Amino acid sequence: MKEALNNTVRPGLVEGHSQWNQRLRQIQPERGDVVQGSGEGLALENLYFSYDASALTLENIDLAIPAGQFVTLLGSSGCGKSTLLRLIAGLQSPSAGRLRWNGAPISGPSLDRGVVFQDYALFPWMSVVDNIAIAIGKARPGTPKAARREEAAAYLEKVGLASAIGKHPFELSGGMRQRAAIARALALGSPLLLMDEPFGALDPVNRARLQDLLLEIRENSTPRKTFVFVTHDVDEALYLSERVVIFGSSPGRVIADLPVDFPLRRDRRALLTSNAFHALRESVAETLAADTLQRLSGDSDIAA
Amino acid sequence: MSDTIVMDDSFSKPPASLPASGQASASSRSLARRRFAHALEASSIWIAIFLAWALAAKYLPLGDNPLIPPPALTFAALMESLPELWKGTISSFRILIPGFFLASLAGIALGLAVGASPRLQRVFFPFARVAAPVPPTVYIPYAIAILPTFQLSAIFVVFIGAFWPVFHNTATGAASLEQRYRDNAAILGLKGFEYHWRVALPASLPHVFSGMGVGLAFSFVLLTVAELFGANAGLGRFVQFYADYADYPRMVAGILYTGLITWLSMTLLEKARHRALFWLR
Repeated sequence: MKEALNNTVRPGLVEGHSQWNQRLRQIQPERGDVVQGSGEGLALENLYFSYDASALTLENIDLAIPAGQFVTLLGSSGCGKSTLLRLIAGLQSPSAGRLRWNGAPISGPSLDRGVVFQDYALFPWMSVVDNIAIAIGKARPGTPKAARREEAAAYLEKVGLASAIGKHPFELSGGMRQRAAIARALALGSPLLLMDEPFGALDPVNRARLQDLLLEIRENSTPRKTFVFVTHDVDEALYLSERVVIFGSSPGRVIADLPVDFPLRRDRRALLTSNAFHALRESVAETLAADTLQRLSGDSDIAA
Repeated sequence: MSDTIVMDDSFSKPPASLPASGQASASSRSLARRRFAHALEASSIWIAIFLAWALAAKYLPLGDNPLIPPPALTFAALMESLPELWKGTISSFRILIPGFFLASLAGIALGLAVGASPRLQRVFFPFARVAAPVPPTVYIPYAIAILPTFQLSAIFVVFIGAFWPVFHNTATGAASLEQRYRDNAAILGLKGFEYHWRVALPASLPHVFSGMGVGLAFSFVLLTVAELFGANAGLGRFVQFYADYADYPRMVAGILYTGLITWLSMTLLEKARHRALFWLR
């Protein structure tokens, strides 16, 4: 377990662009070997998924995510990364392959695995505090109603929403709604948090604020929570995570799996202006662009 | 619930202090004029019908007991009949309210269950396709024959008429529940009664209320038709009774009064809908 962590999260910053490219090439053929075994954490083995027989959505996904890691699934829209998240959440079953969380097979949704969706995580007919209290009621059955609401209010305060406790989702801004959704996921107490482009619909300032909130939550959680975060934003992926898994499309598959070696406590300004960040960003963008070009040339083959 | 209404009011209220300049008062004058124009447009058909009625009653050669009684005579008959009409209203509502209420309850409960379960859909829909379109009025004579009292048979017929629209709409709503609500419920582990009560029902409410709207309108139709068969009081009975005695002012008064009661009932349901669906606004 410890070895596994050391393999994926190496300390220290990275020197230059070319070195990253080299590393990417090295990692690609041996992905899946990074973490072995089926102990603590999330194990995805030879996953295939298709919505219908005509097209494969996910092809041979093989990933091991150790407990406590913050992993980003990065890729263009329609590459299947959200589908993979739904499989991990248990909202959908794979066509082939196995998923395990801490050694136990995933066969449906469970309170072990909290989910934050892009823009619709709350029930609009319930007040914000009730949305969280209902989660607490499920996670810790038998909690009296007043205690549930009190606890829910505490979670809302934790994400900076003390003022919104009695309101309904339609009275909140997009950023506030996502804060409430995060509060609900935290209230479930799940050790694994799955996030499907949770900040995709937010303006840049709110997006940055919520990214920092997430980093704070990760830092303050003991034992450290595991995050699987889906995004198509390269900066967001690199700023938040310890590891980026890049997806190629049609069919969705892992084309690169690389560690992000920046220190866990992140300073936005220093990091985003550092050379190492830019180098990494460029190589990731190149990998994504290469996949896009490949797809386009595939299109022209069909046309010709 | 009442919290939200209060909050909502505070949002829709205009700012407390408007600038008291000449321009502002001019714009508020034009606003008043526009409101008046809109009110006139909304009531234009009423005014036209009333005028046509008054003119027809006055100038058409209709004889001593005109089929079109003049408005003044009709209103006098209406005021005179109010106690009797009120008694009729209570008698009618003793049929309408239980019939409609039970139909809504059964329609919602069954609709949610069937909408959420493909198996129940396979069981129910083939039956519903045949049974729902049968006009409930054809059951009236048999219901009267088979049930011990007229009130019970009328309640039964109103129930049948209101049930199908509520059931059908609720089932459609529950079956087409948005994936995001299903996902959220699944993530939280909401199942069974809790799922239906806290997720499926609120999410289906827009459909439920449109079904109840159709059901209520239909209930009034069936109520008045049923009353023609054997009631000794009630709104439909009042109209039929005075038509039989050729007392046209009272008969027209009964029609107007029934229209008013129907409209009030529909408005009440609409208000309930507006309240329950505050989160859709």
